[in-house]
Amino acid sequence: MLGVFTGAIAVLVAIVVATSFAIVAVRLARQARQRRIMALAAGPRRALLDFVAENGEQGGHDLVAIPDDAWQAAEPGALALLGKLRGEAHAALVSVFLRRGVARRALGNLHSRSRIRRARAAQVLGDLELRQAVPELCRLLADRHLEVRVVAVRALGRIGDPAAAWRLIAGLDRSDQIPSLLATHTLVQLGPEAEVTLSAALDHPQARVRAVCLDALGLLGAAGSVHRIARVLAEDGMLEVRVAAATNLGKLGTRAGLEPLTAALTPARPTVLRAAAAKALGELGAPSAVPALAVLLDDEEYWVAHEAAHALRRLGRDGLDALRAVIAQEATRARRADTGAHSQPPSAAGHAREALALAAIASAAPDEMAVPG
Amino acid sequence: MSADVIRELLRIADWVIFAYFVGLNSSYLVLIVMAGLEFGRHLRRAPFAGADDMFRSPLTLPVSLIVPAFNEGAGIVAAVQAMASLRYPRYEIVVVDDGSSDDTFERLRAQFDLVEVPRVVNGDVPYRSHVLSVHVARGNPETLTVVRKTNGGKADALNVGINLARHPLICMVDADSVLDPDALLSVAKPFGDDPLRVVACGGVVRIANGCRVIGGRVVDVRMPRQWLVRVQVVEYLRAFLMGRTGWSRLGGLVVISGAFGIFRRDLVVKIGGMAHDTIGEDAELVVRLHHYLREQGADYRVIFVAEPVSWSEAPSSLRVLGRQRRRWHRGIAEILGKHRAMIGNPRYGRIGLLALPYYVVFELLAPFVELSALVLLPLGLWADAVDLAFAWRFALAAYGYGLLISLFSLFIEEVSFHRYPRWSDLLRGVLAAIVENFGYRQLLALWQVSGAAHAWQGRKPVWGTMHRQGFDESPPRDTVGAGR
Repeated sequence: MLGVFTGAIAVLVAIVVATSFAIVAVRLARQARQRRIMALAAGPRRALLDFVAENGEQGGHDLVAIPDDAWQAAEPGALALLGKLRGEAHAALVSVFLRRGVARRALGNLHSRSRIRRARAAQVLGDLELRQAVPELCRLLADRHLEVRVVAVRALGRIGDPAAAWRLIAGLDRSDQIPSLLATHTLVQLGPEAEVTLSAALDHPQARVRAVCLDALGLLGAAGSVHRIARVLAEDGMLEVRVAAATNLGKLGTRAGLEPLTAALTPARPTVLRAAAAKALGELGAPSAVPALAVLLDDEEYWVAHEAAHALRRLGRDGLDALRAVIAQEATRARRADTGAHSQPPSAAGHAREALALAAIASAAPDEMAVPG
Repeated sequence: MSADVIRELLRIADWVIFAYFVGLNSSYLVLIVMAGLEFGRHLRRAPFAGADDMFRSPLTLPVSLIVPAFNEGAGIVAAVQAMASLRYPRYEIVVVDDGSSDDTFERLRAQFDLVEVPRVVNGDVPYRSHVLSVHVARGNPETLTVVRKTNGGKADALNVGINLARHPLICMVDADSVLDPDALLSVAKPFGDDPLRVVACGGVVRIANGCRVIGGRVVDVRMPRQWLVRVQVVEYLRAFLMGRTGWSRLGGLVVISGAFGIFRRDLVVKIGGMAHDTIGEDAELVVRLHHYLREQGADYRVIFVAEPVSWSEAPSSLRVLGRQRRRWHRGIAEILGKHRAMIGNPRYGRIGLLALPYYVVFELLAPFVELSALVLLPLGLWADAVDLAFAWRFALAAYGYGLLISLFSLFIEEVSFHRYPRWSDLLRGVLAAIVENFGYRQLLALWQVSGAAHAWQGRKPVWGTMHRQGFDESPPRDTVGAGR
C-alpha cells in the first residue's frame, strides 16, 4: 500500500511541477504574441488614423496594400474605429474593407459549420452596414443556434433595411426565442418605413410578437397607428400586451390616446394596467386627464396611486393644483398624526407630497412649487 | 473494547478521511474543468457578445443599485462616485444608511447636495426598522436616493432598498466594493440575452488589497503585501471564480455574493425579499428563489459572470478573518437547515440532488473532517494503528492534491483573464498556494466548526465591524450632483 502512496505522490509532484511550468509557458507565449501583434499593427494603425483624419480622401490604396498578417493584427481596431465613424469617413473605410475582401470572406463564413464563425461573420457584415448582406442575414434568422440568430438580428438592425422587418417578425415566432428587447431595438433601427409592417403585425396570434411591435411603434413615434394601438388596449386578451399598448400610447403623445387610457384606469382593470395607464397619461401631457388621475391618489394599490401622483406632477400647473388640493383635504388628519410623513401609512396626501417635493426640486422656481402641509 | 479493535477503527477512520480528501479535491477539479470550459466559451464569444449594443439600446432594462451602509463614512462618498460613473444606460443608486453612528449620511449630504423628499415607502417586502427620511441629490434626483433608517441589519436595509427601488432589476452591492466600469453591463447582460429565463446573476468578487485604486477604479492589479491576504487571493480564485463558474455551468449555482449580485425585482418581492433570520441572507435568497421556482415548475436560470469584477477589501488580520469565516459557515449551516427539505429531494432537480448535497458533504462537513484528520492521524500514530511512513505519505498526498487544485486555478486564471501582470505576483500566487496548507487551512477549519456550532446552538448572530483601510488614492469628486 505504501508503494501506491509513493507512486501517487510522485505523480502529484510531476503534475505540480508541470502545471507550474505551464503557467510560466502560457505567460511567455502570450507576451510574445502580444509583442508580435503590436509590432505588426503599429504601421496599419498609423495609416488608419491618417486615413480617418483625411476624412477618407487619401490613403485608401495604402490601406488596401497592407500585407495580410499586418492587416489581421490591426483589423479588430479598424472595426472598432468603423463603429465610431459617420458620413464620408465611414463610407471610405467600408470601401477599404470591401476592397480587402473582408465582406466577401464574411459572406462565405455565414455558411461555415462553426457557429462561432457564422456569428463573427454576421457581426462583421453588420459593422460594415452592408445592404447586400441583408438576404443572407435574413436566412441566418432561421439558424439552429440562438446565439447566431441574435448576432444576425443585431447586424440587420445596424444595416437598417426596412425590407428585413417582416422576416424579423416571423423570426420571433419560435420556441427558442430572440430576446424581445433586442428584436424591438432592431425593428426601431429599421426606421419609420417599417411602420406599416409593424402595425399589421398587431393582429399576430403570438402575444410576444404583438408586444414587441407595440414597443417598436412607440419608439418610432408612429402616430398613424394610434387607433390600432387603442384597439389593442381595449380588446387584447393578454395583459402584457395591453400594458405595452398603454405605455406606448403615452409615448406617442397624441390626444387620441386620452380616452382609451382613461378607460383603462377603472378599478375593474388589473393593477399593473391601471398603473401603466396612469403613467402614460402623465406622458401624454393632456390636462384634461387631471380629474381622473386625482381620484387615483387614494387608490389602495401603492403603484396606481404612486404613478397617478407622478403623472399629475408631469401635467404642469393643473396637475400640481390637484396635488395641493388633496394635501389640503387631508391636512387636518396629517396634523393629528404628528409622527412625520414617513411613519404614516401610504395616503393620497403622502403620494401628493412626494410628487410635489420632486416637482419643487426640478423646478426653476421653487417658491411656486412649495410643498404645503 | 480491545486495543486491537481501537487500532483497527483508527486505521479505518484514517482511510475514510483520505477518501474524503480525494473526493473533495476531485469535486473541485471537476468544477475547475467546467469553469475552464466556460471561460473558453465566454472569451470566444466576446467579439460578438454585443455589450456595446446593449449600452446604446434605449430598451436595456434599468437597474436599481442597492447599497446598504453601516458606519461607512470613510469610503461611502468614493463608493457612490464610482458607482455613479459605471458604464450602463440607465440606473439609480439607492444608499440605505442603516442607522450609522458615524458621519456616513453627513458626508453624502455634503458631497451630493441631498434634499429630503417625503417619499412614501411601499411595503412590497417586509422590514422591521423605522424609515427616518428619504433624500435625493438635488442635481439629479432620479439617480441618487439616500434613505436613513434605524438600525436593523443588512437584510433589513436591503429590504428597505428593494421597496424604494424603481427599476425591474435590483443589484445589491456592498458599500466598500469597487466595481469595474463594465461590471453592471456584464451582470445585467444575461437578463437581456435570455429575459424569460434568467432570474439572478452573480458577479465575481476579487480582492482589492494591494491593488492601486484611483477615482473608484482599480487601475493596477497587484498581489497584496501580507501572506494572509495573498492566501485569500488564491482561495477566492479557486472557490469563488472557478467554483461558482463551474456550478453555474452545471446549472446548480446556489450562492451569489451579497457584495455583487443582480436579481429580478418582481421575483424577489414575490418570495418576500431578504430573510431576517439568517446571517447568510445573500445565499439564502438564491436558495429560496430555487425553492420557489422549482415548486412552480418554472424554466429558469441562475447565472454567474466571471468578468469583469467587483473588488472588495479582504480581512488582513486573523481576528477579522476568523469572524468573517465563522459568519460564512454559520450562514451555510443555517441555510442548509432552513431548506433541509430540498436536500436529496428530486422535486428540486439539480439543486436538490446535486448542489445542496454537495454543500452538506463538501462545504458544511469539510472543516469537521479536516479537524478530525488532524486529531486521528496523530492518534493513529500513537496507538500504532498507522506507521510513520504511511502518515507522512497520507498527509503529503492529501495536501498535495489540494495544492494541485490551487495551481490549476492559477493556470486557468493565467490562460483566461491573467489579471496579475507582474512575474513577481505570479510567483507569490504559486507560493501562497503552498503556504495555504501550513496553518491557514487548519485555522479556517477551527473557525468554520465554531460558526456551524453557533448556528446549531441558535446563538444570536453578530456581524462585528471590519476596520477598513481603504484603497482609493484620489481626491473626492462630485459626479452625481453634477448629473450624468
